[in-house]
Amino acid sequence: IWIFHGFYAEEKLVASLASMSTSERSKAIQKMPETMKKKREIRNKVLKEITKKSRHRCTQLSCCTECLQGTVVRFRRFGNSLSEHFHQLWIWHRALKIISAEFGTSVLSYFIFLKWLITLNIISFLINFSFLAVPQFVAAEPNNLSFKGLELITGAGYFQQTVLYYGFYTNATISKIENGPSYHMQLAYIFTVGIYFVICFLILLFSMAKSFCRNFINPQTYSGNASKLLCTWDFNITNEKAVKLKQKNLSIQIKEDLAEVSREVLSYSVRERVIRIGIHLVSWVASLGTAVAACAGVYFLSINNLQLFVKEHKNDLETQAAMLVLPIVASLLNTSIPFFYSWLGHLERFQIPRQQIYVTIIRNIILKISIVGILCYYWLKIVAASESQCWETLVGQDVYRLVLVDFIFCLLGSFFGEFLQRIIRTTVCVSRGLPEFDIGRNVLDLIYAQTLTWIGILFSPLLPAIQMISFSIIFYVKTVSLMMNCQPPRKVWRTAQMTTYFILLLFFPSFVGVLTVIGVTVWSLNPSEECGPFRGLPSMYAAVAEWIKMLEKYTASKWVVWIYHNLITSELFFFILSALVLIITYLYWQIKEGRKTMTKFLRKQIIN
Amino acid sequence: MGNKQTIFTAEQLDAYQDCTFFTRKEILRLFYRYRDLAPQLVPLDYTDKPDVTLPYELIGSMPELKDNPFRQRIAEVFSADGDGNMTLDDFLDMFSVLSEMAPRDLKAYYAFKIYDFNNDDYICKSDLAKTVNKLTRNELTPEEVRLVCEKVIYEADADNDGKLSLEDFQRMIVRAPDFL
Repeated sequence: IWIFHGFYAEEKLVASLASMSTSERSKAIQKMPETMKKKREIRNKVLKEITKKSRHRCTQLSCCTECLQGTVVRFRRFGNSLSEHFHQLWIWHRALKIISAEFGTSVLSYFIFLKWLITLNIISFLINFSFLAVPQFVAAEPNNLSFKGLELITGAGYFQQTVLYYGFYTNATISKIENGPSYHMQLAYIFTVGIYFVICFLILLFSMAKSFCRNFINPQTYSGNASKLLCTWDFNITNEKAVKLKQKNLSIQIKEDLAEVSREVLSYSVRERVIRIGIHLVSWVASLGTAVAACAGVYFLSINNLQLFVKEHKNDLETQAAMLVLPIVASLLNTSIPFFYSWLGHLERFQIPRQQIYVTIIRNIILKISIVGILCYYWLKIVAASESQCWETLVGQDVYRLVLVDFIFCLLGSFFGEFLQRIIRTTVCVSRGLPEFDIGRNVLDLIYAQTLTWIGILFSPLLPAIQMISFSIIFYVKTVSLMMNCQPPRKVWRTAQMTTYFILLLFFPSFVGVLTVIGVTVWSLNPSEECGPFRGLPSMYAAVAEWIKMLEKYTASKWVVWIYHNLITSELFFFILSALVLIITYLYWQIKEGRKTMTKFLRKQIIN
Repeated sequence: MGNKQTIFTAEQLDAYQDCTFFTRKEILRLFYRYRDLAPQLVPLDYTDKPDVTLPYELIGSMPELKDNPFRQRIAEVFSADGDGNMTLDDFLDMFSVLSEMAPRDLKAYYAFKIYDFNNDDYICKSDLAKTVNKLTRNELTPEEVRLVCEKVIYEADADNDGKLSLEDFQRMIVRAPDFL
């Protein structure tokens, strides 16, 4: 009887597969956990079933249907081979595979994050180039300055009069043909930047939500042991040394768990506890103090920097070199202070090693946020109010220089941090082995560079192109450095959770901060009088207000005006929107709680 | 477009593409890898479906599997005769499931079979003990191994029968995003 049951189940399966579309059917067959032979049999049965059905339907047009089927099959084969060629365009696919084989997925997550950032920058470059730079090329004024090689580093000189900076863009309406279609540069500029940030926001939101959904572990249910044993083996690794290392790690971890030597159980005396808290307090004060000192240094240096621009307009070598002091000092602080923080972390002797990683990362984040914050304050409050001719171009040049010097320092850091360390450790002190690839520090460097790019987009629309090139070079350099100099990481690094945290870090301090800066610039700062697409207006946003006023005269676009007045500028709308979002979030939370209780109840029933 | 290969018929390639996660080029590349293990045994013409099986020793010496502590179990699970000797179909099947394009529940199903050393559709304590020993290179004492197995069964066994069924395993995998 059970053989008959099996047959019946198979008939049902074949019938359901025959009724699906072609791609769904392939996916369903691929996912079946059967041997190849069985799958092929089922597939043949399904195909026979389909031809039977189609023959049933149109018996008269049988030769036509066969022709059609033949064409469909040939078309599918063509599509398949096209997508194969497309697969070859997956650049770095091979390099990523080798990295994951030798070093495991934790190091791979850094490179995937880098690749994702490069894609984001490519999208930004395409948007800005097509909507801003190309029309500007059409209406370009001739460039009178001469090109000396130094411009590539300082960004000043010849580049000042190119599409690279805000100051070059015209505020006129561009039209090549008389009475032909016209391109309003002011509106284009503000709408392109606005829509670009909305797109970035949506991309980040979706990536974060997807990441949370897949990867975030509810700390209550991750009780550890079973998953640790059966689920954390990294099957990607094919390097023998890495495999042995991983096995050793796992055995040490299991032994520790069993013997329960976790330091929570060890109780310290009151005096020891006070000393430990004292040490923690002192190191926090030291790290925050260094961050404040770094900010003060950057601030005073930048005020001096401004004097250079406002007072003298000489273009000689001295002023050019002096312009580079601020970016070099800022990048130097950014690169060297994290080493100081790691040294502090070692000194503190944390109970759980993971705490040390988190505390060091938090300190680095505070340092980077304060430096970026101070620079933004300087740019928005001081440069904007100064008497320079074109303050936006000045800010754009500053950001350009910062991005470039940061890139150079990243390459140097890779050289000194990994290459020299390897030479020292293999020749002088052989005990500690090769250096490890520091994922946390490298990811924070990437997020810092991306934050600078986002801030600079308003003032220098082609900055993403530069960042794209620099990230690609960093990818190659880091890959080579990794292969030559590093060993697989010793500490257990919960990859999936860390990837979620990276994207969260990118979104929350970095992107939201940038939105605030851009918001302040667009709404409240005065654009300069003599350059740029918003010259003469009281604020950049006034361009949109003027456009709406102009639209009011045409009856065909009354709805745009209505949307603007009642939805975008009214506070009531945003209040209602926020209330709706809060209500929906609360409802989902309650549904989740209800499901949790239901699961607990059902589980009890299974056990009993 | 480029239908110049003579190893498989077009229908065979279509069938392979439908049943695995690989593209045409990848299937041909895998065939060449299979053939490289034993060029004298594997013919260059598969259109008449020859019955060729490669012994486990050759499969286990592939660089991708050589250092994997579970290579013998993997070969046994995917081979038709359960001994680790694989035909081309088994070979393609194995790499299809191990590739990054396979969905997690398919991998979880096969992972369960890999960890089930005695093939009784349950992971019992002896299976777990063998798994722990393979994962830690026999560095734990038998007492420690026993304790670990007890802990795992205590945590993951939902119907309290002393062993892990496929559903218990899949439930655990869903909660553990690090599973690859």
